[in-house]
Amino acid sequence: MILFFLTSGLFLGWSLGANDASNVFASAVGSKMITFRRAAIIASLFVILGAVIQGAGASGTLGKLGSVNAIGGSFTVALAAAITVYMMTRLSLPVSTTQAIVGAIIGWNLFTGNRTDASTLTKIVTTWISGPVLGAIFAILLYMLIRRIKRKSGIHLIIFESYIKTGLIIVGAFGAYSLGANNIANVMGVFVPAFSLDDLNLGIFSLSSAQQLFLLGGLAIAAGILTYSKKVMETVGTGIISLSSEAALVVVLAQALVLFIFSSSSLSDLLVKAGLPRIPLVPVSSSQVIVGSVIGIGLYKGAGNINFRILGEIATGWISTPVIAGVLSFFSLFFVKNIFNIDIGTKVVETGLAETVSKPWNVSEVMKYVILAVIAAGIITVVYFYLLERKKKSEFRRSEQRFWKYIK
Amino acid sequence: MSIFNRNSKRTIVKIDEFIDNIDLGILVFREGIKSYIKGDMEAFSTHLGKVDQLEAIADRLQREIENEMITYSILPQHREDVVKLIEELDEIMDGIKSSMYEFDIEIPQIPSSLGEIMINLNESSANAAEELLPAVRAYFRAPHTVREKLLKVYYFESETDKIAYRIKRKIFHEMHEIDLAHKAHLRYIIHHLEKISDLAQTGADLLSAMAVKLII
Repeated sequence: MILFFLTSGLFLGWSLGANDASNVFASAVGSKMITFRRAAIIASLFVILGAVIQGAGASGTLGKLGSVNAIGGSFTVALAAAITVYMMTRLSLPVSTTQAIVGAIIGWNLFTGNRTDASTLTKIVTTWISGPVLGAIFAILLYMLIRRIKRKSGIHLIIFESYIKTGLIIVGAFGAYSLGANNIANVMGVFVPAFSLDDLNLGIFSLSSAQQLFLLGGLAIAAGILTYSKKVMETVGTGIISLSSEAALVVVLAQALVLFIFSSSSLSDLLVKAGLPRIPLVPVSSSQVIVGSVIGIGLYKGAGNINFRILGEIATGWISTPVIAGVLSFFSLFFVKNIFNIDIGTKVVETGLAETVSKPWNVSEVMKYVILAVIAAGIITVVYFYLLERKKKSEFRRSEQRFWKYIK
Repeated sequence: MSIFNRNSKRTIVKIDEFIDNIDLGILVFREGIKSYIKGDMEAFSTHLGKVDQLEAIADRLQREIENEMITYSILPQHREDVVKLIEELDEIMDGIKSSMYEFDIEIPQIPSSLGEIMINLNESSANAAEELLPAVRAYFRAPHTVREKLLKVYYFESETDKIAYRIKRKIFHEMHEIDLAHKAHLRYIIHHLEKISDLAQTGADLLSAMAVKLII
């Protein structure tokens, strides 16, 4: 039953993998610099790593917005967000998982009579605007820098493109890591206060309860990337604007930097030590940062390149997505509580922390086997594709040799 | 980084080798036709053999470059253009070979009064092709300089047209001592020499568009 409640979060994770995570490598795949297969494998691996290693930061902020303290509530909130994302994607409306989950949590707060922390909400909403703006600023600066280096260095085009290709892989991995770290809060954040698992000791490292949840969410995102992101990557990569290879690198790097900034607690602490204001650790929408970065490049090239319709759609999404998710969450909670008689959570006592209600003992054991199976499947897949590539290359070499032999 | 760049560097070497090969082909063409017009058939035969070799090497390099660019996903965004450009350069090499073979097979009789101007025509046509090559090299390292380098190609192509027009006019209007069949044959040979500069111009048009794509 406990695992059943997690399915809504996993569904949300899958859709995040299929839509938002695709953005990381979309420009690289769309510009044909990297094959989809390679991009999907790198993105999946680093999203999981980012989620497990650094996922706690942004998830804490969502917890402050509304500490959903019953597994039934977490299920309903995640489901409302997932349905909103799914519906809006089907209607081809711009959607952000972040905004959907925030709206759904506010719906839970309203239903259970909990107070929505105004300062946390302000912090989150501010980053929805500052995220794309920062993305645009980073994109302009990086694009100027990269163009200058290219022109001054007189580097051979083929060598330059090979550096860009290597750069896209490294930056894409960083982008996927940052996305996992920042956006895992959307997928599993609502389950953290309501879920308690034993620490999972795997010999060389151990995973806390939250990290195990993040690992599951990361796997769901990875599944979304591997199964459904190909079309999205190809559409986003060529749909918004036809990007040059260096612009593709700049867009991915700008997005990765913005997501990293809004999820790195160590960077935030460093700024505080230096006497600067703390960075809010908030999940931001990767799609909107990407659009911000692309607009930044458009601005640099001339204002005529900017698509103001997309800007308008983003602004509409800021309002419509949380409102729809909030309303859906409110009514779903009503049905789940009154018709199915499932506990969806209670009003949190102001002084204390959220009460943890679920403690499934056997889930940690299951997790151990899941991790082992995923590692084994990963190794087998990598070896299989490596051997397949080798076979193709040697066949091609042989056919070339035959060709020249006949010519002679 | 050297591991990542190994395939790219090999392709660069092959592209450079290919361009050098075309450069050499143009030189041999220039000297070969000059030897023919001056009546040095031995030198002409040596140059013909050399062009044959260079054309075979160019074909092999062209195929290898295309294969490597696809296999190692080199320049994915500009691959089609680069492959097309290499094809255009190979067309010049093919044009050189076929022109020299026309001389070898048909043994056109060049009247002595046309000797000097025919050499000029050949020089001008070869110059147009030769000036294309620095622009091709610049495309890979300094694309913003490509268009100014191509100006010389257009200049020599237009000069070639003017010289060819002058020769044809002289043949058909002033040289009444030669018969019509001979005149038609000479026109055909002039057309062959002229073709090299036309091929260079086609390559220049493509390269110019490719450079714009890179700059913007």
